[in-house]
Amino acid sequence: MRRRVFLGLLAVYFGLPLLAALLYSVATRWTDTPLPDGYTLAHWTGVFAKPDVMAALGRSLVLSAVVVVIEIVLVVPAAYWSVVHNPRIGSIVQTISVIPFAIPWVVVGAGLQLVTKSVAPELFGTFWLLAAATAAIAFPFMYRAVESSLLAAGAVRLSEAAATCGAGPAATLIRVILPAIRGGVVSGALLVIATAMNEFALAKILTGVSYETLPLWSARQFVSRTLGDPNALAVVTIFTFGLLFALSALVVWLGRGRVSASMATAPVQKGITP
Amino acid sequence: MSHVVLDRITKRYAGHTALNGVSVSVEQGEMLALLGPSGCGKTTLLRCIAGLTGFDGGRLTIGGADMAGVPVRKRPIGMVFQSYALFPNLTVRGNVAFPLTVRKRPKEEVRARVDEMLDLVGLDHLGDRLPNQLSGGQQQRVALARALSPRPEVLLLDEPLSALDAQVRHRLRDEVRRIQHQVGITTVFVTHDQAEALAISDRVAVMNAGDIEQCGPPAEIYTAPSTRFAAGFVGNRNTLELDAVDGRVTAGGAFDVEAPAPRVLCMFRPEDVELAKDGPGARAVVDVTVFLGATTRVYAQAGPSVIFADLPSRAAAGLSPGDEVRLRVAADHVQVFPA
Amino acid sequence: MTSHITESVAAPPAARRRVPGKLFTAWGPALPLLLFTLATLVLPALRLLHDTFALPDGSYGFDHIVKVAGNPVDRQAIGGSLALGLTQATLATALGAPAAWLITRMRLGGRAFWLSLMNVASNFAGIGLAFGFVALIGSTGMLTLVLKGLFGIEDNPFPSLGSFKGMNVVYLYFNIPMFVLLTLPALSVLKDDWQEAAAVCHATRWQFWRYVGLPVLSPFVIAGWLLVFTWTIGVYAVAYAIGSSPSATKLITLQIGTTLESSVFGLGRAAVLSVLLMILAIGATLLYRLSLRRAARWL
Repeated sequence: MRRRVFLGLLAVYFGLPLLAALLYSVATRWTDTPLPDGYTLAHWTGVFAKPDVMAALGRSLVLSAVVVVIEIVLVVPAAYWSVVHNPRIGSIVQTISVIPFAIPWVVVGAGLQLVTKSVAPELFGTFWLLAAATAAIAFPFMYRAVESSLLAAGAVRLSEAAATCGAGPAATLIRVILPAIRGGVVSGALLVIATAMNEFALAKILTGVSYETLPLWSARQFVSRTLGDPNALAVVTIFTFGLLFALSALVVWLGRGRVSASMATAPVQKGITP
Repeated sequence: MSHVVLDRITKRYAGHTALNGVSVSVEQGEMLALLGPSGCGKTTLLRCIAGLTGFDGGRLTIGGADMAGVPVRKRPIGMVFQSYALFPNLTVRGNVAFPLTVRKRPKEEVRARVDEMLDLVGLDHLGDRLPNQLSGGQQQRVALARALSPRPEVLLLDEPLSALDAQVRHRLRDEVRRIQHQVGITTVFVTHDQAEALAISDRVAVMNAGDIEQCGPPAEIYTAPSTRFAAGFVGNRNTLELDAVDGRVTAGGAFDVEAPAPRVLCMFRPEDVELAKDGPGARAVVDVTVFLGATTRVYAQAGPSVIFADLPSRAAAGLSPGDEVRLRVAADHVQVFPA
Repeated sequence: MTSHITESVAAPPAARRRVPGKLFTAWGPALPLLLFTLATLVLPALRLLHDTFALPDGSYGFDHIVKVAGNPVDRQAIGGSLALGLTQATLATALGAPAAWLITRMRLGGRAFWLSLMNVASNFAGIGLAFGFVALIGSTGMLTLVLKGLFGIEDNPFPSLGSFKGMNVVYLYFNIPMFVLLTLPALSVLKDDWQEAAAVCHATRWQFWRYVGLPVLSPFVIAGWLLVFTWTIGVYAVAYAIGSSPSATKLITLQIGTTLESSVFGLGRAAVLSVLLMILAIGATLLYRLSLRRAARWL
């Protein structure tokens, strides 16, 4: 019996803030009554007409897309080479992965700010710096997904077979390996997108107002509550949550039957923006 | 008075009956095998004796004492699980000592008893190893030692050898029998391997779908199965489905037995098939011979059926595919059941 | 285990020096990633270390560290972050461990529900989470209004979000799921078999836990505790949302943020605080990995 009470309270604890935000996003007026005065979908339809929201959303999407491309270009060849030719690559990558795992992203941002300002000051505050930084902290997700996909697909055997057919390394990678690891690349991409969409620390420190992503927009509303738009913020909150949830559900669905510890914790890490 | 008595034990789950009023008793010092295919209820019955699974009807007594309401923790049993369930953080000595440690026995007594047990199962040199450093066979022996260390009245074994590969299994099978005999403890063990059950037990209970179909010494089960299921499950038999003529069945002259029904199943073992070049019997053509060392299995086509016969290899040496032979089976070697 | 399709990588060093092409073959495709991460991750970390000790006049010293140690705001921030980290780790463990244990005992349906709930909670993070809590227990929050309307409680009894208590309430929202999701696979390692075997050996439940259960599980639980600690001290988004008011509990991450935003000088302070966080985080991570290795030792 005590178990049910305990679990019940936990479930309530997790459900309520979400419920409150959801109600806020559909409430007409809600100042001094336990439940809103009335309900409306106007906020939802209206929010996507607001120029600053759409701009922020657009920037976040562009950022995510660019980061995914960067990751695929950087990670896939490296992971492939590590699995098939030189496993030492994998161990070095594992060591470097400790940095985005252990070190708070705000610290990474601080370091990057210091480095860029003295070495390449014109880069500071630009989109590309942010993209690079986001790619840096998200790369372990893509690497792990691609690596396990390569192992599961038997990349070594496939490469051997391709070599006996006379294919060179580039042809092997593009025509044989990539199709075989599609699932892993997609899983990794989803995790990277989730990270980029919800990432706050780097965006704040490296670009701030010059490239306002969706989380930055949310923060602006939140901190300046008198000038901000709480209903729009509620909508964006629920929207972001829905998006992240859908992404993580997709990842789980794609990886069904192959759940590893890293996959189990990856959604957790992804969802929590330090 | 039997040592362990199961009286009309019934166990129902939502949707199906696992045990259907099962009754069997085990004598002091006897080794009883519960033999059957998966789902027949043998493991459920064992767990009922242990108290790990409750039952809905019937009565269980151990040593005359009714076990109703007695929790697992208080029953005078030792059990070896199919997966051995050795505690991973305790050494071999720690595992074997565990039943005594939790009974708060003095250290000296515990140490002496553990030494005795390790010696019994032949693992005295591995006392300080951890379970994940042992082979499957070694783990099984530790599990056995742990089960026996508190001097239980009854030993329960749940498919103790199924996780081992064939060679180790044969060796350990005989070990288990030797140890059981040496200690003289009443034992019930569960298996789906009929060779195992026949080899080491005093009595075998053949189970099927929640019932005990037959219970008796191995030889009896093997030579005189009383039900169709037992006949099919124990021993490798030829099965012919034939129509009776005037209340009797003669499989083309191979044998002549009484038929209890218009359509019957006739079962006989391959070693009971007599093959001759000519003489009385059913006509058959040799299909293929399989050399198995001391015996040779001869497959012969007799009419619409393929019969297999086990012959001493010397006797089968002259047979080749295509040869015409005569098949006979003595009447009391044929079991007949209604189809 | 790997097949070497091209020339052998195990060529003697002398051969490698003479033929740099072979080195390229061994590392080539990985170079973009390695160089990229070197520049974006390793270099900044080293730079932070450097700036902690680098003085404006070109020499090196402990001046920055001394300044931070002497600054009451920074001291409060360090204390706040440490206190929050320790409290969160302990609370998340105290609540998450029993929750995870109960979830492992559940049958498929209940388990799936709870796993999705944990997943949901871990996705609802960042600024949005702070907003959700404001909407729930802020001055005009849902629960606050419920208490006012139904029970006539005028003043908001809930802790303000920026206070230490408030932060703990909010942080638990993602720390408990993280703990549960991390320890869940570990807890299912504790097979039913062991408990049954212990019962057959005449052990009480307590004896089972003392001799088998806790020793086997504790490294996992400790690993979870360390993970929550590491994560908590590094959180920024949620902290920014609820910790920005002057009366809020001070945290290291926020101090780093404000330093970077406001001034070009005084960056030594950001470096010192960053390096402090790095040391704490890396230390905890190493202990975390050590714990996991110990846990696997028996299994």
